Amino acid sequence: MKATRREFVQWAVASGISLGVSRIGVAEIPGFLSHETLPGRGTKTPKTGRVDGVAKATGAKLYASDFRASDLPGWPPETSHALLVRTPNATHIYLGLDLERLSKIARPSVLVTSEDMKRVNIRVPEFYAGDLFCPAGTTPVYLGQPVAMLIFEKFDVFDQARLALRDGNFLKFGKETGPLTLPNYGAFRFTRVAGATPSDPDVYSPVQAGWISPGFLESSGRPIWKPLPVAKGSEYVKGATYGEEIRAKLASKDPDVLMLDRKFETQSVDPMFLEPEAGLAWYDPASKKLETVLGVQSPFEATESLAHLLGEAIPTLKPKIIDAQFAYVGGGFGGRDHTPFTLYVGLAGMFFPGHPVRLAHDRFQQFQGGVKRHAFKMRTQMSVDRATGKITAFAADHVLDGGGLMNYSPSVATVGGTGALGIYDVPRVDVTTVAEHTRGVTAGSMRGYGTLQTMTALESLVDEICTLLPMDQVEFRRRNALRLGGKIMTGHAYSVSVRTSEILDKLEVHPIWANRAEEKARAKPGFLIGTGVAIAAKDYGTGADCSLGRVEIDADGRISIHSDAVEMGNGIGTALANRVSYHVGGIADEVTVAQVDAFDVLELVKTGDPFTMSQDAQDAGAKNTRWVPEISSATSASIGAHVGTHAAAQAARIIFRFGLWPAALVLWGIAPSDPRAKQSEEAYWQGDTLVMTGLDPLPLKNIAAKAHRLNLVTGATAHAFSRWSWSQASFLISGETWSTDIDALAVRYGGSKFTRLDRSSVTFPPTDFNRIGVAFASLCGTGVRVEIEKATGKLQIVKAYSVLECGKALVPEVVVGQSQGGFAMGVGYALFENLPPFEDGPGNGQWNLGQYLIARGSDLPLHDLEIEILPPVSSNEPPKGMAEVVMIPVVPALLSAIYDAIGHRFQSLPVTQQMIKDAIA
Amino acid sequence: MTTVNMMINGQAYGPMDVRDDLTMNDFLRECLGMTGTKFGCGAGQCLSCSVIVDNPDGTSHTNPTCIVSAANFNGKKIRTIEGHAKNGELTILQKSFIEHFSFQCGYCTPGFLNEGQVLLERLEKKPLVREDLESAIGEALDGHLCRCTGYVKYHEAVKAAILKEPKRYLKDGGR
Repeated sequence: MKATRREFVQWAVASGISLGVSRIGVAEIPGFLSHETLPGRGTKTPKTGRVDGVAKATGAKLYASDFRASDLPGWPPETSHALLVRTPNATHIYLGLDLERLSKIARPSVLVTSEDMKRVNIRVPEFYAGDLFCPAGTTPVYLGQPVAMLIFEKFDVFDQARLALRDGNFLKFGKETGPLTLPNYGAFRFTRVAGATPSDPDVYSPVQAGWISPGFLESSGRPIWKPLPVAKGSEYVKGATYGEEIRAKLASKDPDVLMLDRKFETQSVDPMFLEPEAGLAWYDPASKKLETVLGVQSPFEATESLAHLLGEAIPTLKPKIIDAQFAYVGGGFGGRDHTPFTLYVGLAGMFFPGHPVRLAHDRFQQFQGGVKRHAFKMRTQMSVDRATGKITAFAADHVLDGGGLMNYSPSVATVGGTGALGIYDVPRVDVTTVAEHTRGVTAGSMRGYGTLQTMTALESLVDEICTLLPMDQVEFRRRNALRLGGKIMTGHAYSVSVRTSEILDKLEVHPIWANRAEEKARAKPGFLIGTGVAIAAKDYGTGADCSLGRVEIDADGRISIHSDAVEMGNGIGTALANRVSYHVGGIADEVTVAQVDAFDVLELVKTGDPFTMSQDAQDAGAKNTRWVPEISSATSASIGAHVGTHAAAQAARIIFRFGLWPAALVLWGIAPSDPRAKQSEEAYWQGDTLVMTGLDPLPLKNIAAKAHRLNLVTGATAHAFSRWSWSQASFLISGETWSTDIDALAVRYGGSKFTRLDRSSVTFPPTDFNRIGVAFASLCGTGVRVEIEKATGKLQIVKAYSVLECGKALVPEVVVGQSQGGFAMGVGYALFENLPPFEDGPGNGQWNLGQYLIARGSDLPLHDLEIEILPPVSSNEPPKGMAEVVMIPVVPALLSAIYDAIGHRFQSLPVTQQMIKDAIA
Repeated sequence: MTTVNMMINGQAYGPMDVRDDLTMNDFLRECLGMTGTKFGCGAGQCLSCSVIVDNPDGTSHTNPTCIVSAANFNGKKIRTIEGHAKNGELTILQKSFIEHFSFQCGYCTPGFLNEGQVLLERLEKKPLVREDLESAIGEALDGHLCRCTGYVKYHEAVKAAILKEPKRYLKDGGR
């Protein structure tokens, strides 16, 4: 058997299944990749805009939901359709599906249940641990848990079944058991006691002592946070003892100190990406090859998970090859990062061998089964010295509703916890957080990732403190803002720019804030005016971020880029094209994203988990020149610019330095011994022309042709890994040692094939960096003015202003667009969106956009929404992730403005029109 | 079953037998393979599935396809996003969408594009005074949901397309 083999993945999954994304030869029907490889700007009209602009404005097939078997060369022409049947009940024993009654309406060709999972030995990847289908005779673990998958050969039969299952009750339930009680997904405590002065080392911090979790639970399953006197778990006792001291101090009465203790609740919401999840799978039993088309934020993970799922299946249902292809994504917002949907797509293909099967959620099913944002219950305490207005201590307790499966709950809990201090510098901090299992729909990754919730509670508390002190809201923040070099909750300092003071200055002088009193006094009869302001610092990066990039220039100067990053609207393709053009002059002619096998030549291998591996394990792994801590990571908007473009940019830099530059020297007639030959950094591109002072400008086309003729470097493939700093390695290229922020490299000379280069040395960021929690953050401040009609409680945002910093903005138009979109999503979160927990919530399968309201154009100040991007601190400041932070401050700013207008503070979300009306009354 | 005939982007389709409850969205996407028209909610709420219906009286309007049967479109002339560009030449509005970075994921774009196109054609027949332009755009696009963009750039793109030819769309050339 000849596999479309990538050794590194085979090594990783060790399941004997080959994985690949093979280039399908273009026959009569355009291949999948011909849809997904888009022309760069400049090759077709128009000359501006996104690289995917024309495709998206003309309705091209791009998204996973667009493809059918007949679109894919080599596939059978007919598409069958699968339907996931999910339970709306998680308190009674599930007895089974009334197939007899359903079959009178629409008879499925295949029924897949929990029994089949056991029968064919399906393995559930650890991340998705739990029954893929609820076994008959047991209580479902959560609302929306699949109980069966039905596969229909013909669309019409499928469609009739879909409609019948939505309206009728075909699931049989027995006695009531109540919801299942399962262990929480993770509990953590972050305690920091600063030294006597900012320059002194911390007395205690997570970076020093490691992260701690309580080892004991109450009978309810809640953690016991008190430091129990036991020998085991002494690390916890030490941290918890400091934490309890902080709480005792907060509880003590001191007239010189203002202490506020507030509860705040946030709701569950849906990512509500416009394209419901969809995928296509075809298992050919003759070749034992499973082909899929998927749309996810984490293609590498999805491919590995499919391999794990089927890795020990019975021989007739174990593919030898999995060929996964990834499409553009119709919105992600985190909700397609590690989605279990992929597993069901794979199963759909496997259980109807020989037939391409499509599994696609409708919106009801997407609400019922898609990953949600965690609802938080929070208690927050803060003490402030009345004389100085300085925060002296902070404590918080977070309880997250993780829903039915673990997914990213522990991670969201820790990110929300470590982000709970926002922009502030506080010497004594104690935060506990626990993510609980409930029978709700599974919660996971979503834009803001826990910090939207905790910073909303924080900023609302700060707003109230400012009222009570009293002190101007901007001035209070200025006095307490973390400065460059200051330590965050984990005891570590951000390693990127921290521009709080600039953002506060901008907010302070902006007319929205500066004129707030006059505007309030100018309210029309029957209306109230309020102004609010808030600021947030949101981390970006995960601590195990990877970047894969391949850049090639042909003899005509045509540039192509391949990347493993996923385009989900974040403009990553355009950002790649722009960042690469900085080094090689031209805008790419082709950009292909979501690739996981375009980098085979690197032959990468990995071992273990980059988040938990020991230093010894990393050192041992690093001895293999093909080893990296992680190969590919999920795409999120907030790391798209920073991570997604990094490897391609490094590859482009190498092409310039070892290909285009020496070719240019030859064209200029400059000998290698000439001092100018060493001055490559002084050359720059004007469009596709290379400019060097005192020399003739050279068109890229001519340089590329010369580089090919001289057999210089014309292509580079690179891998990079970041654990809060990039790995660094050295390579021998064209006889010269080149050290840079990558850890694997292959190059192409002239028109030859790529050749992998062994690194001569490598430094991976130490594993201790996993304690940092976060080292990169971007800031955004928002001011809003609202007008509220007294009689109805109707709120209108009349003006808004967001100011943010993101280092170098690779595509400023996209940054502005993401900021506007983040603002809108924040407005929806603050005022409209709400999914009730449990039986009344989305798990009942009855939710759609009629009940679930997101912000519409008329809810926003479309003509009075001002976005300001601070210029980078220096010309070489790298791009910073910004797509999450921009949705956060609008939420507490709105709460602040509502308080300013009506004099009532809301401590839960969303704040609906009815709530405002009731408060006014 | 109903036998349907319709004109889509100037091309005749049918006669074809379809289930009475088959939605127009499924007819386009599953039967004809025309996936430029998107499926978003199936409840007529997001309007990413909207197409343009050209009425016999020369007027046009948009219609959601996810809650309306294909049979309901029998005998009608419709336009979808695939039919806007002619011979590879993008329309003014398509170009404006691209130049203004109007969309991000792009999944809602077909609905916005169709709605904006209908507005342009309506204004061409019945121009507005300049000061009513923003509110007219706002009213036209407001039912369409977008999760990525915050809507601003869609509005800017439609407005720019109109202001590019003010004599065509505005009373007194927009003065």
